[in-house]
Amino acid sequence: MSPLISCPKCHASLLDGVFNRPGLAPCPTCAAPLQVEVFPALFRKAAVGETGQPVLVEGESGCFFHPQKKAVVPCSSCGRFLCALCDCEFAGQHFCPACLAAGKSRGKISALTSERADWGSIALSLAILPILTVFLTMVTAPMTVFVCLRYWNAPRSLVRQSRFRLVLALLIALLEIAGWVLVFVMAPGGRR
Amino acid sequence: MAEERYQRLTRDRSEGFIPVGVVTVTRSSLWLGSDHLLLVRRNGYTESYKRFYFRDIQAIILRGTRTRAIWNGIFGSLAGILLVIALSTVDRKDSTSLIIWGCVLLAVCGIPILFNTLSGPACTGYIKTAVQTEQITSLRRVRQSHKALGKIRKRIVEVQGQLSAEEVSARLREAAEDQAVPERTAVPPAIPPPIS
Repeated sequence: MSPLISCPKCHASLLDGVFNRPGLAPCPTCAAPLQVEVFPALFRKAAVGETGQPVLVEGESGCFFHPQKKAVVPCSSCGRFLCALCDCEFAGQHFCPACLAAGKSRGKISALTSERADWGSIALSLAILPILTVFLTMVTAPMTVFVCLRYWNAPRSLVRQSRFRLVLALLIALLEIAGWVLVFVMAPGGRR
Repeated sequence: MAEERYQRLTRDRSEGFIPVGVVTVTRSSLWLGSDHLLLVRRNGYTESYKRFYFRDIQAIILRGTRTRAIWNGIFGSLAGILLVIALSTVDRKDSTSLIIWGCVLLAVCGIPILFNTLSGPACTGYIKTAVQTEQITSLRRVRQSHKALGKIRKRIVEVQGQLSAEEVSARLREAAEDQAVPERTAVPPAIPPPIS
């Protein structure tokens, strides 16, 4: 792949004058102010993947997926022996492709997590937004309590890891339920 | 596996020109991890994550934009319209109305213009790796971006090392020449004769 850097505005190749400078400098072609920080990875040649060495000695351990190839490392998750081709090194551990895929789909490897639902925000919206219509809170307040309890231990956001929103939503929902109980108790014909 | 702690580099910003986010607009923010940058995109009630490992980052680009000038122009035009309305409807001897209009102008236009101007020049950021160039829309102001860039640069240099401006220019020229040479000396493939 070409190591050249292009201006993000005019897409002209940048060769001089704007790299690793302290401030913005104009692009030589379109004069857009640019600051470009370049790192050694730009000039690093891509590593060639290994295909795995064949088993040469009788009785030598072979890969679980390729029995003719020499095993070099066990999977950190399932313990299967892996050849150099099957070895997926990630976050300092070695996984087989099946465990890596399972780790991602089940959310067991947080470094592979690409998406999470924000249950705290969902519960808070369910608790607060229906207040505009007032009567809807009769239905949404119990729903909010359910969501808070059901997803109390669900994986939270990678960056906002406190349960503050769930706690706040639960408090608001409980207040709403208490309010409705009072309304029904104080209503004409009800117990005073 | 214990969850990693992240340090916030930018606030949540909407991806687009309109700065006020509603539940359906995607908002993104940039976070610093132990060995990678995390781009968080919040769309309604779901967060999606994209990681850029320090060892893979080839370049970070900041491009100046005219967003500050555009917003100043919009608020300035709005101030002009409100001023015309005020001057045409208000009795100039009525000081109370003048004060009210003055406060409205200040609140609706003056404060946003002042805030926009004091925030400094606007920009947008890009992270380049071997397989993608990702726009980081939460890098909105040059001053804020320089602070974030300082923290990111420190971590990347720890992993990859550093290049001076002259070294970068020299290596890019070499790479450009290497790419040009195979094109000039390439021999077109021989076309085999048709089978008779």
